[in-house]
Amino acid sequence: MRTDVEIVARRGPGGRTVLPVLRATGQLAVRRTGATTVHLVATAFGPLGGDDATIRIVVEEGATLGVLSVAAAIALPARGATTPSVQRIEADVEGSLDLRLEPTVVAAGAHHRAELVAGLGPHGQLTVTDQVLLGRAGEEPGRWTGTTRIERGGRPLLHTTVGLGTGEPAWLPPVAPRAYVSTVHIAETVHIAEEEVGVATGQDAVRLPLPGGWVTTAWGAELHRVVRAAAALAPAAPVRVPA
Amino acid sequence: MTAALLTLADSRLPAGGHAHSGGVEQAIAMGVLTDAGSLTTFLRRRLATSGAVAAGLAAAACGGGDLAALDAEADARTPSPALRAASRQQGRGLVRVGRRAWPSAAWDELPALPHHAIALGVAAAAGGLGPRDAAQAAAYLSVSGPATAAQRLLAMDPLTVAAITARLAPEVDDVATRAVADGLPAATDPLLDLLAEVHATRKDRIFAS
Amino acid sequence: MPPDHNLDDYVDAPGAHRHGGPLRVGLGGPVGSGKTALAAALCRTLGEEFDLAVVTNDIYTTEDADFLRRNAVLPDDRIEAVQTGCCPHTAIRDDITANLDAVELLEARHPGLELVFVESGGDNLTASFSYGLIDVQIFVLDVAGGDKVPRKGGPGVTAADLLVVNKTDLAPMVGADLDVMRRDSAAVRGGKPTLLISLRDEPTAAAVADWVREQIRVRVPA
Ligand SMILES: Nc1nc2c(ncn2[C@@H]2O[C@H](COP(=O)(O)OP(=O)(O)OP(=O)(O)O)[C@@H](O)[C@H]2O)c(=O)[nH]1
Ligand SMILES: [Mg+2]
Repeated sequence: MRTDVEIVARRGPGGRTVLPVLRATGQLAVRRTGATTVHLVATAFGPLGGDDATIRIVVEEGATLGVLSVAAAIALPARGATTPSVQRIEADVEGSLDLRLEPTVVAAGAHHRAELVAGLGPHGQLTVTDQVLLGRAGEEPGRWTGTTRIERGGRPLLHTTVGLGTGEPAWLPPVAPRAYVSTVHIAETVHIAEEEVGVATGQDAVRLPLPGGWVTTAWGAELHRVVRAAAALAPAAPVRVPA
Repeated sequence: MTAALLTLADSRLPAGGHAHSGGVEQAIAMGVLTDAGSLTTFLRRRLATSGAVAAGLAAAACGGGDLAALDAEADARTPSPALRAASRQQGRGLVRVGRRAWPSAAWDELPALPHHAIALGVAAAAGGLGPRDAAQAAAYLSVSGPATAAQRLLAMDPLTVAAITARLAPEVDDVATRAVADGLPAATDPLLDLLAEVHATRKDRIFAS
Repeated sequence: MPPDHNLDDYVDAPGAHRHGGPLRVGLGGPVGSGKTALAAALCRTLGEEFDLAVVTNDIYTTEDADFLRRNAVLPDDRIEAVQTGCCPHTAIRDDITANLDAVELLEARHPGLELVFVESGGDNLTASFSYGLIDVQIFVLDVAGGDKVPRKGGPGVTAADLLVVNKTDLAPMVGADLDVMRRDSAAVRGGKPTLLISLRDEPTAAAVADWVREQIRVRVPA
């Protein structure tokens, strides 16, 4: 099944964020939930293998937008099908975008692909978090492939693909974690020296500098611990830790 | 393929690779790599991630890609400062010997400290090789150097290590084929980032990376 | 299309890729023979006369570099330590990349550089420097290793531009006959010089410093 979401955030009168475009078809609905936030709401189980969702987000200059979701997404295998479910986020950010969807849980036998392609303008700011858990409680891990590409003015700042779960060539014991969290933060200033953010390491967690920001990555057996480990390395942007 | 490929992938080519363990020294220190089995696993994950990316970059650089744009793509795929430094240091070493071995105007288009994979692509082109060859050399080098580093550090049986490397050949070929067919890969292994960054802070290391 | 393979275009005379630049002096020899002590002595003795720097090739730590910082009155930015990946002789002979990087870095940082010492990691008697890396090399032996060592030969002993037999103060303690060492060295070295010294008794290493001065003098075109 195809799902399409489109969100455009614009700076309105008095500096408030207006949403001239806010529409969704397929398995997601989108609701405005605050002055600068929208929530994605799943209208069906899934995604299932073969489902294909595209979320287009435009944040115009001067606008601020947070995109959240109401609950974890549980990727499930489609009966008889081996195709992955796909969620593609295309973001065009001249203002400030905070993308914090709830975790993706990939059930046994399922393969979920998450893609983010974000283009930042000269003043664009972006924070994006991926939280992944392979397998529901007591279940074998599913498979998750996540690609992130962030550009500013056409110049690539970060381009990585992480593959987790059975079938991913680099997901091999003894380091084959079920839980994974990654947060990328790119501030407005493109001139932050990489040394100002710097590297930080933890046990199964690392923070690396990016032009104007940083990326933290943490992995382990339990999602809540991994979320904490990633948050512990984040220098500035707040990362929400579930209770 | 010409014999130039054998020279390019030869661990005896004096390009500085012998002082880099590709994360092996730190993997051993952290207990992730202890024996032949875990060495094989480590090499597989390296091949599938940084090996694939290097193969893609080398192929693109060999095929006449815009070297400055490829250098930016390499940076975007290598956010770890320690891994960037290791790559650029080895790139510089390869340029030094490559210029002498295969004189070509293409060397002058490279920055002073190019990423290793990009220098490898230029070397391949200068040596009369094609993108697939460049990808193969990059993929092979992503495991051959680390394998011998493990051999030295763990005093492993060199025959075992040679056998491990030899048996990875089909996977090396596969990575090279896909790097050429599917465009620039971006596969990454956060474990390698962590190993590289912790290693870089150590004072008691034998290898440069 | 493979390039036109004319070997003459590619292969130049040893060292011909270097024009001018500092004199590069290799310091090789077995573990503990006194390479770092000699480097420190030469830096102290020659430091006033020449703009100099040191590259160390420690096997495991930055011990040698740290010693030089303390004892050779050399500021940090004149000492570079390279990692050798378990193979100290590879780094000075077979794949000199890391050492060339270090030397070039020092040259770039100190444009007036006249003299660079490259200390190898302690190795065995077969270790010697590639002339792609250095201009002249000194091999440092230790009297305590036994008076048989020069007789055993090996590229380090036979081919080094200068053989230094250090720690002569220990000869009585270890029962080494210095005359035997002097005679055997002369026999295997085909006229190249050998100096017997004790850095303990004569910490300026004046004789070795004179030899280095001479190397700089003969190299600079009159
Ligand atoms: N008795 C005596 N000891 C000396 C002399 N020269 C050096 N030593 C000592 O020998 C030891 C080793 O000297 P180093 O200069 O560290 O030797 P090295 O060749 O640099 O050693 P590695 O770098 O570890 O191979 C030190 O404890 C020195 O103090 C000497 O002339 N006489
Ligand atoms: Mg020493």
